[in-house]
Amino acid sequence: MNQAASHSPLRSALQGVRESIPLLGGYIPVALSFGLVATQAGFSTLEATAISALIYAGASQFLFVGMIATGAPLWLVVVMTLLINVRHVVYGPNLAALLPRSRHWPWLMHGLTDQVFALALTRLPQLPEAKRFSWFVGASLLAWGAWIIGTAVGATAGEAFTARWPLLGEIMPFALPALFLTMVAPRFTDKRWAVAMGCTILAALGLTLVGWSNVAIPLAAACGALCFYMLKFQNKRCEQ
Amino acid sequence: MSSALWLAVAVSALGTLLMRVVPFLWMQRRLNSTTGLNNMPQWLGILGPLMIAAVLGVSIVPVNPSAVSWTATAIGLSVTLLVWSRVRSLGWPVAAGVGVFGLVEVAALIW
Repeated sequence: MNQAASHSPLRSALQGVRESIPLLGGYIPVALSFGLVATQAGFSTLEATAISALIYAGASQFLFVGMIATGAPLWLVVVMTLLINVRHVVYGPNLAALLPRSRHWPWLMHGLTDQVFALALTRLPQLPEAKRFSWFVGASLLAWGAWIIGTAVGATAGEAFTARWPLLGEIMPFALPALFLTMVAPRFTDKRWAVAMGCTILAALGLTLVGWSNVAIPLAAACGALCFYMLKFQNKRCEQ
Repeated sequence: MSSALWLAVAVSALGTLLMRVVPFLWMQRRLNSTTGLNNMPQWLGILGPLMIAAVLGVSIVPVNPSAVSWTATAIGLSVTLLVWSRVRSLGWPVAAGVGVFGLVEVAALIW
């Protein structure tokens, strides 16, 4: 196989598709649930699917339909939705050095979810530069497509689906923690990173358990960053 | 859905997209600039991996928390880590972890 063939855009995109398959274990059950919740809140299948296609941010979508269903003012619904999604601001800059320049980014970045970011930040540095753009297209489009189709199925047959295979909805989402564990594990070889990571994981877990899952990611990451910097400070003091 | 509600969806979608794309393009421009500001701020590089750890923490909580699901989670994560330490890739550890997690859940249901 020659070099050009191994770097063909289609091959790289298919690699992205293949490597993002574990994400579907988490996406499909949540998308099914969103479709179901949205129809129960009075949205049609088309409307629920459109929300998934356009907003494409899990937690904020649940909040959006939930607040609409309770009759909250629309401006407040929009503000809360955007506030939950503010964490995405940090994702793009972290990938900027890893991806080539392209005029397609303004629409391709629509696919930058928590999970796609985590996968991209881990995999892109390991790929040759020529492969990265197509890899990102493949990975993000599969995730987006699965989210939209999952919502449509959930809105039309979510109730029957979850009644028939109740355990599947519990088992499939485990693909997400398993995948993220394999992503953070390499950092645990460094003591400073291990403490910061451990602190972040525990904080996120705790915040989710007390019902603060909407703000758990940015708060826990901030907590971990604090740990990271404090540890550096303590080391410096020890050296003196 | 009323036109006001469609507008709310459109504004939320546009706002979310801008939060994803603007910082990315800003950083790409900054990295390629000749002003000397061509490095990513250190805090941003630290926050990236920590965000992944936070997503892990959030996703660890089982769909229906119970003694069985927490046990299955602990065993599933241990198996994932064990397989990862041997193969150092993403696919097999995830498959093994999900398989064992599912087995524990099914076994608990049967017994």
